[in-house]
Amino acid sequence: MTTDTISTADAAASVADSLADRLADVWVELEERLDRVPVLSRLAEGTVTLRDYERLLFNLRQQVVDGSPWISRAASNFDIEHFELRTAAIRHAEEEHRDYLMLERDYVAIGGSLAELRAGRKNLGSEALSGYMFHYADRSNPTGLLGAMFIIEGLGAKRAAGWAERFQEVLGLADNQVHFMQYHQEADSEHTGALEAILTSGIIDESAADEIVRCAQVVARLYALQLEELDN
Amino acid sequence: MGSTATAYLTGFGAYLPGDPVDNDGIAARLGGDDAVTERIRQRVLDANGIRQRHYALDEHGEPTELNEQLAVKALQAALDDRGIRAEDLRMLACATTMGDLLVPGFASMVHGRLGGGPMQTLTASGVCASSLAALDAAVSKIRLGDHPRAAVVGSELPSRSLRQRRFDGIRAGMDSHFLRWMLSDGAGAAIVEFQPHPTKPSLRVDWVRQVSLAHEHDVCMRAGMSGPEPIVGATWQDLDIAEAEAAGMFVLRQDVSMLDDLAEAGFRQFEELVDIGLVDVIHLDHVVCHYSTNAFRDLAFDALSRRIPNLNTDRWYSNLETRGNTGSASIFIALEEAWRTGRFKPGETVLLAVPESGRFSFAFAHLTVVAPPGQPA
Repeated sequence: MTTDTISTADAAASVADSLADRLADVWVELEERLDRVPVLSRLAEGTVTLRDYERLLFNLRQQVVDGSPWISRAASNFDIEHFELRTAAIRHAEEEHRDYLMLERDYVAIGGSLAELRAGRKNLGSEALSGYMFHYADRSNPTGLLGAMFIIEGLGAKRAAGWAERFQEVLGLADNQVHFMQYHQEADSEHTGALEAILTSGIIDESAADEIVRCAQVVARLYALQLEELDN
Repeated sequence: MGSTATAYLTGFGAYLPGDPVDNDGIAARLGGDDAVTERIRQRVLDANGIRQRHYALDEHGEPTELNEQLAVKALQAALDDRGIRAEDLRMLACATTMGDLLVPGFASMVHGRLGGGPMQTLTASGVCASSLAALDAAVSKIRLGDHPRAAVVGSELPSRSLRQRRFDGIRAGMDSHFLRWMLSDGAGAAIVEFQPHPTKPSLRVDWVRQVSLAHEHDVCMRAGMSGPEPIVGATWQDLDIAEAEAAGMFVLRQDVSMLDDLAEAGFRQFEELVDIGLVDVIHLDHVVCHYSTNAFRDLAFDALSRRIPNLNTDRWYSNLETRGNTGSASIFIALEEAWRTGRFKPGETVLLAVPESGRFSFAFAHLTVVAPPGQPA
């Protein structure tokens, strides 16, 4: 069988299959790296402190506030040929842009100061992550950002609720103190569902798939860096 | 899901105004030095067993402080004990029988004087059991995770209304004398948090329970009306002030004939706690009980002994004899002293018990002493 005989649909399906495999590899590598992040290994061991949780929220907040802006910027850079991706980005930006408020309420509920939280700066990892996202979103038709979505929404859907539960278990926290992490399990599961639909819809060609995988690799590394560099 | 946090008492404070006043120093402050009043006072004091108390009155009977000042001083002591500031609080729950003012609420005035940042306030007004109603509210909000830190204070300044000028020319029977020579001033406070004290033991609040039996009991303790029942158009708010005063409405009264019923009802409430398993008498180490007079101490001790066979005086605590009966403040003043003097050890349990005569309410709280994190219980 020669390539000439393969239908376009089959080709798209094979790109989607291989993209899913390549992203799964990126995910596995990220999980291995996360296991070595100090605050997450203390969480797993049960030696995590309230101070750890407070610092984690503090550090995440400085980058979470940028989430909706970079998605919006990406939305504005999808031309009419990429209308579906623009639609998805606009919807996603709207859904995310109040998320940081939930995080801020959790922070205050464990005794943190809202004024200090809002006056905080990004850590080294957050600077790199946020800078990369905005830079990427400035490209025309930044389809590769689906790889960023895969990582960030994946963390929300697959890991955040587990972290919330473990923080509750170890520190005796009420639901009202872990809203942000709890909520992301539901919200990001919906988002990853939508992402899955796009990735398998046939609109992703080979070169777009390469961009998506590369973006996922960079974002996975920078996200872990953000968790490694708390307060730095 | 539906997880809640745990509430811990992590700091304790008390404030008792002025020097202690012994039984011979009462008349100089409250008046009533005629021979008949003298005899009645002696009888009441013999029965209540109070040897000394504090008044926010100078040696001539003139007020030295406001009730809200007593509350703030107790709160400040509790904050200092915990090593935090008023700015760290997100809720303030205040209990008192009568604030300094008719309006606004007592907690607003205490917050204004205490300072700190924006916070939720609650005024639990009632009589003695309002103390644990305030504690319950603070504990509930902490457990919900709505606030990381709250303060609770019980505060009373009845002395100014126990002075002779209130009694001149009005009918004052045993219903007013009993309280006049029993009540005194003071405040007690505690800090409530969702985490235990980082370096010292804390008291975990296992539960708080308050129940009113007003549906089947008449008023026992009152001010503001002339008989046992409020009458439309005839409360202190309806009459001219002079008329209300002449009718003795501004004198705090207690129907002492109902007190045996009150004690009996209180014991039944305690037995219910045992029967439904909220109190495990085998594992109950301490009882801190508020009672108005020593006559009830013996009754209560006997009644509890029926269910707690090895109850002995080491496990029973009250500082009524030396701190007086300070109403809603007294349970916190007793808890502070018991805590500060090292009566409780990690792992032990404490039952707080507060009967309220007002119209038959009873409040209890169950606490467990926990070691600081990382130390063996």
